[in-house]
Amino acid sequence: MTAVIETKSLSKWYGNILGLSDVTLEIEAGITGLLGPNGAGKSTFMKLLTGQMKPSIGQVIVQGQKIRNNYDLYARIGFCPEQDAFYEEMTGWEFLTSLLKLFPFSHAQVEARAEKTLNIVELWNDKDRLIRAYSRGMRQRLKFAQAIAHDPDIIILDEPLNGLDPLGKRKVIRLIKDYKSEGKTIIVSSHVLPEIEALTRTIILIHQGKILAQGDIHYIRDLIDAHPHIIAIKCNDPRALAGRLVGEPSVFNIQFGPAADTVLFETKNRDRFFSLLPRLIVENRLDVEEITSPDDNLQAVFDYLVGK
Amino acid sequence: MPQHTWRSLRSIFSLFFPAGRKSRKTKVFFAIACLPVLMALIIKMNQSFFGGRTIEGMAVFTNIIMAFYLQFLILVLALFYGSSVCLEEIEGKTLTYLTTRPISKSGIVLGKYAAYVIIVIPMVLAGVVFSFFILNFEDLADFSIWAVLAKDLGVLALGLMCYTAFFTFLGTFFKRSILFGLVFAFGWENAVQYFPGSTQRFTIVHYLKSLLPGGTVTTSGRFSFLLFKLDPSPPLTAIVTLLIVTAVFLGLACLLFSQKEYLFEE
Repeated sequence: MTAVIETKSLSKWYGNILGLSDVTLEIEAGITGLLGPNGAGKSTFMKLLTGQMKPSIGQVIVQGQKIRNNYDLYARIGFCPEQDAFYEEMTGWEFLTSLLKLFPFSHAQVEARAEKTLNIVELWNDKDRLIRAYSRGMRQRLKFAQAIAHDPDIIILDEPLNGLDPLGKRKVIRLIKDYKSEGKTIIVSSHVLPEIEALTRTIILIHQGKILAQGDIHYIRDLIDAHPHIIAIKCNDPRALAGRLVGEPSVFNIQFGPAADTVLFETKNRDRFFSLLPRLIVENRLDVEEITSPDDNLQAVFDYLVGK
Repeated sequence: MPQHTWRSLRSIFSLFFPAGRKSRKTKVFFAIACLPVLMALIIKMNQSFFGGRTIEGMAVFTNIIMAFYLQFLILVLALFYGSSVCLEEIEGKTLTYLTTRPISKSGIVLGKYAAYVIIVIPMVLAGVVFSFFILNFEDLADFSIWAVLAKDLGVLALGLMCYTAFFTFLGTFFKRSILFGLVFAFGWENAVQYFPGSTQRFTIVHYLKSLLPGGTVTTSGRFSFLLFKLDPSPPLTAIVTLLIVTAVFLGLACLLFSQKEYLFEE
């Protein structure tokens, strides 16, 4: 496959602060997940890809052309920004048609595209409401709508699932996957691993402005599995549960607390642990209130990768 | 102007003209712009129904109404609309929606500037015209006062264009452009215009006052308040200077906006 987007030695400084450091990579058609904690440099990378920022060093090549001030390329890219910002005094319809008018479309084309897109994101019935009266999920979908309304080849989405409820997330994930099947190039950023997992297997792992890893998500999963996990279980009889798991080889440490009804298990084989757990709960007739993984987050993976 | 910038300007204008016209800011400023009309009505009613002191309509119009518009309202309107050309996109974090479209950054500045100037000019001129009619109701047959009105409207429109261009530049340059704008408008412009000699030529208001009817002679009576200490420039010089100032600050605003990278504050 040929690369749709290429970056060569891409770096960006904000004064003395490093935003992105020496990023050289290629992105192909399909969905690519850009994964990193807050402040990792994801938004900087996306702004450089969309030509909103000028690189301090290096270059961005999109479809074989330099992106900066290339208005033909701008017309082929759809960008959904992270920030929840709108022209609040407009209706959803006004917002979308106004932004479509910034492309060289006729009046009829603008209206047809706006209607089609609002139907896709299921906002057609709310098109005449002021944006300020929209719920968070509706606003997120409207932001997505403005990124796809002009039918771009490349769609760049900065934290599109941020702040959405589970149902809203499912809707947006479905929409993104629909666009993948049309052969588009989609880059989605997130700081939440399961969100990216639900979308794609191809990821770019970014941390402190540097690319830590790029490739298949199994690679990241392996890194996570090689790293000890803490699983906290809050139930009515934590001691009974701990007793049943004392001899289990995948569990190498058990602690009680911080609350009296909570037990913490440390495991290097999370999958095996979770396959055992339901049977033990049923056999011991435990009343489980909560199961959490306090360190099952990207920060833990990054800390592990950078050797903290 | 390159064709692409011209197309961008038209697209941005068509986005921000209707949006700006309907905005809450416009409604509030329109109400403020109508205050002199109310004042004119009160003065007229006081004269007509309560036998108040008879004052010549034109004197009230030029010394009070025009002073309010020229020395205060056009500055405030230009400041809030001009500085918001770029600043509202940055503070509202909506700039991304414009800079990721196939439009030039100069087109964004010029399109929004044009939209806002075309919103504020009728807003001011409507108030002036209504005040004029109310205060000069009995003298409307005298065509000489119509010429005065036409000149006054022209001066205010030019003033709005010029000040808005200056504050547009300020908005691209400073984060706290309103503060700097207030210092300029009510500090520099208000004080330096009364300096004797050529120093007053470093103010925009000097050239505007030079264009007022009767501006070539510093007499008492009509315009006496506005023309205090005025050492007027010739009308053609004043018009050319105002147009050059407008073009220079718009050019600088376009250049700066195209080069600068704006970061959104979290």
